[in-house]
Amino acid sequence: MERSDQDRPSHPREDEHEFAEERESLWRITLGPTIWAFHFLISYAAVSVYCFKFERMFSMGVLRIALIAMTVAMLAAIAWIGWRAFLRWDVRDTGEFSNPEGSAEDRHQFLGHAGFLLALVSFIGVVYDTLPLIILGTCR
Amino acid sequence: MPRETRARPTFLSGPSRLALLSFLLLAACEGRQSALVPGGEDARILGDLFWVMLAGAVVLWFGMNGLFYWATRRSPAAHSQRIANWLVILGGIAFPTVTLSALLVYGLSIMPDLRATGDGPVIRVTGEQWWWRVEYEREDGSTVTTANEIRLPAGVRSTFLLDSKEVIHSFWVPSLGGKMDMFPGRVNEMTLGPERPGIYRGQCAEFCGESHAWMAFEAEVMEPDAFEAWLEAEAAPAVTPASAEAARGAALFLSQGCGACHAVRGTPAVGRVGPDLTHVGSRHSLAAGRLGTSTEDFAKWVANPGAWKPGAEMPAYDHLTGEQIDAIAAYLEGLE
Repeated sequence: MERSDQDRPSHPREDEHEFAEERESLWRITLGPTIWAFHFLISYAAVSVYCFKFERMFSMGVLRIALIAMTVAMLAAIAWIGWRAFLRWDVRDTGEFSNPEGSAEDRHQFLGHAGFLLALVSFIGVVYDTLPLIILGTCR
Repeated sequence: MPRETRARPTFLSGPSRLALLSFLLLAACEGRQSALVPGGEDARILGDLFWVMLAGAVVLWFGMNGLFYWATRRSPAAHSQRIANWLVILGGIAFPTVTLSALLVYGLSIMPDLRATGDGPVIRVTGEQWWWRVEYEREDGSTVTTANEIRLPAGVRSTFLLDSKEVIHSFWVPSLGGKMDMFPGRVNEMTLGPERPGIYRGQCAEFCGESHAWMAFEAEVMEPDAFEAWLEAEAAPAVTPASAEAARGAALFLSQGCGACHAVRGTPAVGRVGPDLTHVGSRHSLAAGRLGTSTEDFAKWVANPGAWKPGAEMPAYDHLTGEQIDAIAAYLEGLE
């Protein structure tokens, strides 16, 4: 739900509601890097185990396709998280790049900003993780 | 008050010092151990990578300093938030992302060439303290053992099986390609594709103890026919001593127990602790690149190896007379 303060119907316990939302945002900004971390871990472990144990048994093709499919799904998830964070940041409407004032609304937008940038760097990180798989595709 | 002038004793003025420094740096780029004078496919690829990185670094250096100059001298006033934001977005995010992506793709794209499988001889190289055991594995299953020198045919990729006896060493012939570490109990495989015949220098590139710096070797790239002839000769047993002095040296070699550590194939000397000496007289250097190959060099080494290579396991034979040492030296030098 991305609405500015003016549109939002006043909540019986406004502060509590906002606090809950900020707490949720705090979790949400970690999602992009978390997906990146799992992508790295899964790719690294899968290729290591394959190259150590199974290289001579079957070709890398299946593993490669599976990991690339996983990458596409994770990139889509990060893109979605980044887009949601971008909307929360609300820079197009407010024109505020940084939100230095510290009001509840400012915090909300700042967390959107941070979440967006973290999603961006996670997206690039996941692409970098996958490049060796696409370009090399071998254990050598 | 008159201005005090003090003459500073200078060897060279600023600009000439800089010129001298760059000359010295350039001099290091030549020679038989330079990664910038490639003698093979791998070194050429790595050299290209170096020049691409250097050119990029120079452009970036000028770009950054230009910006710095602009921001401090030409336009030192505060910039608008808008410009600053775009500078961060373009210069801080978009530019590094594009540049690093391009470098990563380029770097990954050259890796398969450097890791191509070998189609030439298979050579097992084992790092010892502080020398190299070299074994050519021939197609008929036999092995040709030598030491401290590697000869390679030009135009094919040789495979190296790298191992180590006690500590970690690193195998590196800069003119032929990249380096690879040698671990005790683990065989690392690398391939090199030398192209230009010549004698290059290899060097242990991982600190391995007192005489690490003296652990070198020659890598000679030969025409394929010459290589085959050399390997055939290397597989043959040692020649018999040609002179009376060398024959005396051969007898001393055995009576002094040298054969407990060294092998001279075709004689009772079959030790495997130290380097195989069957054809030591035909090598380009003695004691892993430490000394030359004259009779005097052999004599110097036999008399006191520790003086030339601190920590060497071979004991000094200083209880022998000069004449006896010369005889052994004559024998070893004759082992071609």
